[in-house]
Amino acid sequence: MAHHADAKRALDERGYTGSLIRGDNPLKLFEKPVRDRIIESYYWKEQCFGLNAATLLDRALELTFIGGTYGVAQRPTPFLCLAFKLLQLTPDKEIILFYLRQEEFKYLRALAAFYIRLAWEKDAEVYETLEPYLADARKLKRRTREGWALTHVDEFVDDLLVKSRICATTLPKLNPRLFLEDEDKLEPRISALGEELEELDGDDGESDGEVEEVEAMAGEHAIGNGHGNSHVVSDDGASDEVMDGD
Amino acid sequence: MSDRKPDAYGSSAPKTTDTSHRRTWDRTAYAEKAASREAQIKEEGKARYEASLKGQKYHAPHHKSSILNDNEHKFEETHDTSARQARLNVADQVGKTQVIISGAGQGKRGKSAGFYCEVCDLTYKDNLQFVEHLNSRQHLVASGESGEVRRAGLEEVKARFAYLVANRKEAKAREVVDLGERIEVAREVEEREREEKRRRRNEKRRKTEGGVGVVEVKVEGDGVIC
Repeated sequence: MAHHADAKRALDERGYTGSLIRGDNPLKLFEKPVRDRIIESYYWKEQCFGLNAATLLDRALELTFIGGTYGVAQRPTPFLCLAFKLLQLTPDKEIILFYLRQEEFKYLRALAAFYIRLAWEKDAEVYETLEPYLADARKLKRRTREGWALTHVDEFVDDLLVKSRICATTLPKLNPRLFLEDEDKLEPRISALGEELEELDGDDGESDGEVEEVEAMAGEHAIGNGHGNSHVVSDDGASDEVMDGD
Repeated sequence: MSDRKPDAYGSSAPKTTDTSHRRTWDRTAYAEKAASREAQIKEEGKARYEASLKGQKYHAPHHKSSILNDNEHKFEETHDTSARQARLNVADQVGKTQVIISGAGQGKRGKSAGFYCEVCDLTYKDNLQFVEHLNSRQHLVASGESGEVRRAGLEEVKARFAYLVANRKEAKAREVVDLGERIEVAREVEEREREEKRRRRNEKRRKTEGGVGVVEVKVEGDGVIC
């Protein structure tokens, strides 16, 4: 089976016959302006032409930051271009899982997580596949619209599960976890923090508890525990800014 | 007509006639050419018909390949497109001056200032257009690529991954860590750069020859788009 090296055929809406995601051309998961920026970029034309799932690894291993579009001219990041390429290729599930599960390259993992969130249609599967990576605390470099930010793999995964817009794309609607738990499609979440959370719960309300909470937050980078959980960990103003800008 | 029976006075020099300054054509050679061309058209027609019966498209062998194939009309297998192995080398000509024959290029055709594609005989003013051309249908057909990429399975992905990881490890191992060696290496690099600069300075100082066809290639912004 062969697919076209260039995305032009896939982008031309009239005769699209490839695999569908949510009933539509997978490339339409990105908005039109973003799609246009990607296709006109030099990185796409030079480096993303003729890639297949295997040669994409060459490019993905060289990624050094994540991000959407940046600058006045809305230039796309290589991360975004590769995600677009993945949408064009629509590789098999096992290949994506391979990308996700490998330990060595965190940006490849981020790319796979992004693809999973965009492309997989069963919400329960998305949660189940991505939640283990809320324990991965490695640092990621993120390119925001006007500069750089520091984030972590688990923050990124959490953003994917919680936010509605990230990396210049509007994420498809995902049912909240509580909803799926009520429907018995998912088990209630067991956090990797485990007993530490219990302890924090117990100290809630004491003034000492505040100090302990802040310390706990400094020690663990994992934020957020799914939806609806009483927010034990307080948000700093700083971290909000870090996550700003898509 | 060049062989003449000796005339009455015994000379066999070619007689000049009214039309002897006019051009003559070798009819037999041209008749052969016409016959072979018609045969080729017929063959191609047959190949197209067969391909359409099978539901495929017949790819005509491009003219460059037929030159290489001893002028035989083989149906050449087009090979799959794959990704570029290395970055396109667009920046190494920056700042250099080239002598170009002034009449060589008409618009895009022919070699003139800029990025030149040999396969299609086209020149582009900047690297973005150049790379677009390299991805275009026109160029792919001319270089015998089908424009379709083979889909990779899980095994291939894993193999590629292992290969890349091994490459990285190797590159890392080769990296020189010892401080003394690093100083050596840095010194050598510096020497080399100084030589380069000296050589370039000497070239500039040397008088350039004036004359026909000297085109100084100095594009604003160097025509390189990233």
